[in-house]
Amino acid sequence: MKKLRVLLVDDEIMIREGFKRLFDWEAHDCQVVGEAADGMEALAQIDTLRPDIVIMDINIPIMNGLKVIQLSRMKHPDTAFVIVSGYDDFSYCREALRLQITDYILKPVNYEEFGTCIDNLKISLFEQRVSSAAEPEEQERTITGITRYLQAHLAEEVSLSVLAEEFHLNPQYISQLFKNEIGVGFLAYLTNIRMEKAKKLLLSTSLSIAEVAEQAGYGDYRVFTKVFKKAEGVTPSQYRRDFLEGSADV
Amino acid sequence: MLRMEIALFLVLAFIAYIYFSAGKKHTLLHRTFSALLIVVLIHLALDGVTVYTVHHLEAVPRFLNDAVHRLFLGSMVLVIYLFYQYIAILVEEETGRQRRLDWNARIFLAVAELGNFLLPISYTVTPEGNYSSGPYMLVPYGAVAFYLLLCAGLLTVNWRQIDQKKKLAIGAALLIEVTVCAMQWLNHTWLISGMGITLMTMSFYLTLENPDILRAELTEQKMSMLYLKSQVNPHFLYNTLDTIRIQAQLNGDKKVADLLMRLVDFFRLSVKVDRQMVALDDEMELLEAYMELMCYRYPELTCEYDIDPELGGVQVPNFILQPIVENSLLHGLKNKGYRGEVRISARRAAEDRMEILVRDTGSGFAEGKKAEIDRMLQNYAKQAARLEGSSIGILNVQKRIKLLCGREYGLSYTENPTGGVTARLLLPLREEEMA
Repeated sequence: MKKLRVLLVDDEIMIREGFKRLFDWEAHDCQVVGEAADGMEALAQIDTLRPDIVIMDINIPIMNGLKVIQLSRMKHPDTAFVIVSGYDDFSYCREALRLQITDYILKPVNYEEFGTCIDNLKISLFEQRVSSAAEPEEQERTITGITRYLQAHLAEEVSLSVLAEEFHLNPQYISQLFKNEIGVGFLAYLTNIRMEKAKKLLLSTSLSIAEVAEQAGYGDYRVFTKVFKKAEGVTPSQYRRDFLEGSADV
Repeated sequence: MLRMEIALFLVLAFIAYIYFSAGKKHTLLHRTFSALLIVVLIHLALDGVTVYTVHHLEAVPRFLNDAVHRLFLGSMVLVIYLFYQYIAILVEEETGRQRRLDWNARIFLAVAELGNFLLPISYTVTPEGNYSSGPYMLVPYGAVAFYLLLCAGLLTVNWRQIDQKKKLAIGAALLIEVTVCAMQWLNHTWLISGMGITLMTMSFYLTLENPDILRAELTEQKMSMLYLKSQVNPHFLYNTLDTIRIQAQLNGDKKVADLLMRLVDFFRLSVKVDRQMVALDDEMELLEAYMELMCYRYPELTCEYDIDPELGGVQVPNFILQPIVENSLLHGLKNKGYRGEVRISARRAAEDRMEILVRDTGSGFAEGKKAEIDRMLQNYAKQAARLEGSSIGILNVQKRIKLLCGREYGLSYTENPTGGVTARLLLPLREEEMA
C-alpha cells in the first residue's frame, strides 16, 4: 500500500509539532507532507500538495476550517478531512457531518487514540475501493471474502484461527493480508466494524446497551462500554442521546 | 435659640454615626463626605457656643468671643469649600472630565481664612438679639457666593451628563443654602446659617450617601470582581494547558502529559456549569478526571466504579458527585493518610428511582459528628446559605437535589460496619425527554 499523504492545519505551532512528532505516522503508513497555519494557506497547500488526509482545526485565522473544507471539497472530492477542535459543541459536529468529513476529534488530542482514527480512515477507504470496483471479479479476492465473512459473523467469537479454518489459510498469512490490503491489523479492523455495527444499532433501534453489546460481539457490556468510549470518546448511551438531541432540534 | 443648635448637632451626630459604621467603597467622593461630616459637626458645635457667647457679651471676655466667632466662621468657610469639592468630584465621576477649578477654590479658601482671622470684628446688640458684625462678615457671605456660583456653574455646564437624581441632590442643596443665606442676610438676628448647612448635608446624605446606597455600591463592586474572576476564558485555560501538555510529551515526560490531559478534561467538564441537569455519564466523567488526579497525588488511594450502564443517560443535578467524593477524601481518608478506597456505585433502587453510593474506607465520623451532619441534612432548608466551611459542599448538594428533583430524594449518610462512611444519593430515574 502506498503511504497516505497528510497535511496538518492548526494556527498553533505546538499543536502541529505535537501531531508531527508524537504520533507514529510511519507505523500507520502515513507521511506528513505539509503544514498550514491559516485558512488561505491551507487552501493553497491542499491544491499544491494533494494530500490524502487533512488534519484540520476549525478556529483558524483568515478563513475558518469548515469553510476551507467546503471549498476544497469541490476541487478534491477524495480528500479525507479529520476535524480537530476545542469546541466540544454539537452544532459544530453537525455542520461537520454535513460536510461529510471523515472524523471529528476533540482537543486535547490523545496521540495513542488518534491511531484508531487513522485506522478507521483506512478501513473506509478500503470499503470505498471495494464498493466502487466496477464489476465483481471472476474470482473474488480473498480479502473481500474474509471481510464479508466477518460482517456476517460479528456477533460470534471470531479470531484469526477461526478464519484460518474457514478459509483454509495460514493465520499469519491472513494477518499479513489485512496489513497489505487495508493497512490495519486484523484486530483493529474487527473492532472498527463492531463499533460501526454498534453505532448503527444504537441509533436505529431501541435495544438496551447490553443487547447492543451482545449483537456487536461483546459478551460483557462493561468491556463493550469501555471499548466504545475509547473509540468514540463518549459512552454508548451518551452517543445515542447526543444524536437524538441533535436531530431533535435540527 | 440654643435649642435649635443642639438639635441640629444631635441629628448630624446621629447621621455621622450611621455613615461611619456603614461599609462602603473607598472612593474620593466618600472620603470627602466623611471629612465634610466631621467639619460640619465641629461647625455646629461652634455655632452653639457662639449663640451663647454673643448673648453674654459682658460675662464672656472679648478675646474669647472673638476667637470662637472667628473659628465658627472659619469652619463655615471650610464646610462650604468641602461642599464645592464634593460636588466637583461628583460631577467629575459623572462626566469623566478632570476637575480644573481646584486650585482657584483652594487659593480662595486660603484668602478667605486669612481674612476671617484678620478683619476687624464687632458686635451689634438689638432687642431681638445680638449678632456679630463688621468687615469680617464679608468672608462667609463672600465664600458662600463664590463656591455656590462655582457649583451652579458646574451644574449648568454639565447638565446633560449628570444623572437625574444627582442633579436633584445638588440643585436642592444649592437652593436651600442660597435661601437660608438670603434670609440670614435680611434678618441678622435669626442666626440660621447652621440650619442651612445641616439641611445641605442632609440632602446629600439622603440621596447619595445613605447606607443602602453605599451597601449596593459595595455589593456591586464585589459582584463585578467575582464576575471578572469567572470571566477567565475557559478556552484560553485549557488551550494553554494543552499546549503545555504537548510540550511535556515532546520533552518525553509522558506522566506529566497524562496528568495535564486529565486536568484539561476536568476543566473542560466543569465549565459546563450553565446546565442544571446533566447525564450521569457526564457527571461520572468529571468525577473520573478528578479521582485520577487525586489518586496520582496520593498513590495509596484507589477508586472503584460500579455503574449500571443503563443508567448512563439518567439526568442528575449538575456537580453533585464530586463534592461528595471530595468530602470523603477530606474528612475520611485524609485522616488515614490517604490510604484506602473510594467505591462509587450506581444502581436502580426501584422502578422510578436509583441510588448512588459513595463508600469510603476512611476514619468514619468523629464523636457526635454523624448526628450533626444528619441534623444539617434533615433541616437543609433552614440552614443559611453558607459560602464557606467544611459542610458547604454536601449541604449544597442536598439543597440542589431537593430543589431540582423533589423532596423525597436527597442525600444521607450511614456508617459502614467495617469503618468509613457511605453517602447515599437517592435520585429519580428521569431520562431527558427526547421529542
